[in-house]
Amino acid sequence: MTRAVVATALGVALAAGGLWSLLALGAAPGAQALSARTAGAQPIIDIAHLPPLLTTADDHLSVLRYDIACTGPGTESDSSCDLDGTAYVRVGTSGIFRALPLHLDATANVGRYTATLPTDVATSATGFTYYAVVRDRKSGATTTLPAVGATAPQRSIRLASPTSIDLGAHQFGNALPASARVATARWGDGSTDVGIEEGPQEEPIGASSFDVDSSGNVTVLDEAHKRLLRFASGVASTPTAIAVGVRGTIADLAVRSDGGTYVLESVAEPGQTPLLRSFDRVGRQVGAWHTAEALAGTLRLGPTGLQALEYPASQWMPLATGGGEVSAATQFAQGRAGRAVAGSRELVAQREGNEVRIALVDSTGVVKSWRIRSSTPLAEIQLAEPLGTRVVVVLRAYTDANAAFDVLVLGDLGLVKHFAVAAADWAETAPLSRFRLVGSSLYRLGSTPTDMFVDRFDLEEH
Amino acid sequence: MTTGRHPLRLSRMLTLIVAVAAVLIIVQSARAFHTQFVALNCNTNNPQPTTFFTRHGSSAVALHARYEGYQWAGGCWNDNNIDDSPGDPTENSNTGGEGGDCSGFTFKVWRESTTENDSGAYQWNMLRNVHGPYTADRFRHGDGAPNVTYAKSGLIAMDALASWHHIGLIYSRNADGSDQIIEAKGEAYGTNIWTRTYRGDINYSGVRRLGWSG
Repeated sequence: MTRAVVATALGVALAAGGLWSLLALGAAPGAQALSARTAGAQPIIDIAHLPPLLTTADDHLSVLRYDIACTGPGTESDSSCDLDGTAYVRVGTSGIFRALPLHLDATANVGRYTATLPTDVATSATGFTYYAVVRDRKSGATTTLPAVGATAPQRSIRLASPTSIDLGAHQFGNALPASARVATARWGDGSTDVGIEEGPQEEPIGASSFDVDSSGNVTVLDEAHKRLLRFASGVASTPTAIAVGVRGTIADLAVRSDGGTYVLESVAEPGQTPLLRSFDRVGRQVGAWHTAEALAGTLRLGPTGLQALEYPASQWMPLATGGGEVSAATQFAQGRAGRAVAGSRELVAQREGNEVRIALVDSTGVVKSWRIRSSTPLAEIQLAEPLGTRVVVVLRAYTDANAAFDVLVLGDLGLVKHFAVAAADWAETAPLSRFRLVGSSLYRLGSTPTDMFVDRFDLEEH
Repeated sequence: MTTGRHPLRLSRMLTLIVAVAAVLIIVQSARAFHTQFVALNCNTNNPQPTTFFTRHGSSAVALHARYEGYQWAGGCWNDNNIDDSPGDPTENSNTGGEGGDCSGFTFKVWRESTTENDSGAYQWNMLRNVHGPYTADRFRHGDGAPNVTYAKSGLIAMDALASWHHIGLIYSRNADGSDQIIEAKGEAYGTNIWTRTYRGDINYSGVRRLGWSG
């Protein structure tokens, strides 16, 4: 509902030009805008869109798909709205957008709307950029995705000649032992224990995120006890506890070079977007601000500052630079398909079926790219990080009875290194917080019914 | 007599004070825990049988519960985007708070019957307090005529991922291969959409509701 209200204002703003849309957002940052949800007068238009981030010629991409749920206030019927919409597309990243009508796909089993891409757009070597505006004809409510439309549209990148890698079938049970166990704590309520969140109704949730600094010191977010557990390098079992004022639910963590931390809460207060908290090295909160979008659960600290993966835009957005706040308007305006990494590049990652695509992109286009196929189903991409001229990727392979992580080091000619890491995920964590790459060491957060641990895997022999 | 009556009066007064204090503590506790949300807002009306029920429509039912509360063993919520009974004790299923629990939420979103051998569809209003007969673990096993286990790699929107303790409904997929799950997660979480990695988690199995109109 809120998004519809915001987007109605945005629609007007967009019509007046990108600058106006930015001004509109500047006046109504996400946290305040969401409070309009309680107005109750207009329907909720909720758009789910899986962006085709990385395409190849054999995809034969011809349409953009949007799954749209629209719920009128107080009704729970299967058709409470009368929707139409338009996708705006253009070749590459500049120029004029073309308007394409969205049509209901009556053969789909959800409220799916599609826009047929012109051939020159669908096959463009430079890819294309696009956004969509959806309207309920009954109420006039409008939603734009991404929220700032032309200011930060979604981007689809064409991979001309990706390096192909075939993983074959995953051999479960062949996990590589860690180089070292660098942190461990038992589940419990003692001063050096790590806590499980309260409640009989949930899977066990605890130690929801971690990070490692350049000296190898490990920090674990013990959200159930509202504290950080800091394990000094070389001291795996006697952490220092640092109280922090967090909510106590699943959150992601990033450690700054000054020893301070960012914690991104996944649960928001009513009418607000998720809150990012900034703590100094002794746990005092030194700042707190909101994500632009309603959903965000993944943090990464990189050369340009702190970024979060925000939804429904499905874009990486800057959340902090130089330790300071990035406004909701700037987050929206700087949303990108890829995450900013060193060398003024973006790293774009996508899983489609049993295939993962990875691309390093700069202002001139695709610098390097890979297509990784597996005959075992793949779930999430847990990590994709540059390592010098290479890229480290961690994928989860799974069946209905098994799961494990595949660690891949990708080089110009293909697979440089490949090994499996046991799933060891007894306790639930923030969704994409199980791995961190620091230097040439890969760290993983794992758990068993008795304890939480962080293992280190050295990717380069010394 | 005076000396004899004083201890008696003191004893009675002390008894009275203790009794009053106990009542106050109990009332205070009850007021803290028993929010009266169900008592004041919910009903036991009959559901509406329907022959037309779509995944899209179930997404809409689920979205009405979004931003509402969580109640262990519960199944009643309004649509004001606020948890009207926050902070109930998590070990108590009788606090009468707002929201479904994970399986009650799934039951209502999937519009199932309280009769396990009935695979028909029933529109429960959000203010109808009903949990349904299934726990998360029973959904995980595909118990009940409308439910079957299903390969996780083939799950689509409004299918479910269920473990022994928890069940969540797939709302959409993310580009990185994780899923957006709409779920009644817990008292501290309420009901909302979050990115989750249940699909690749061996604790979770795939579950599908049968009989969709589309």
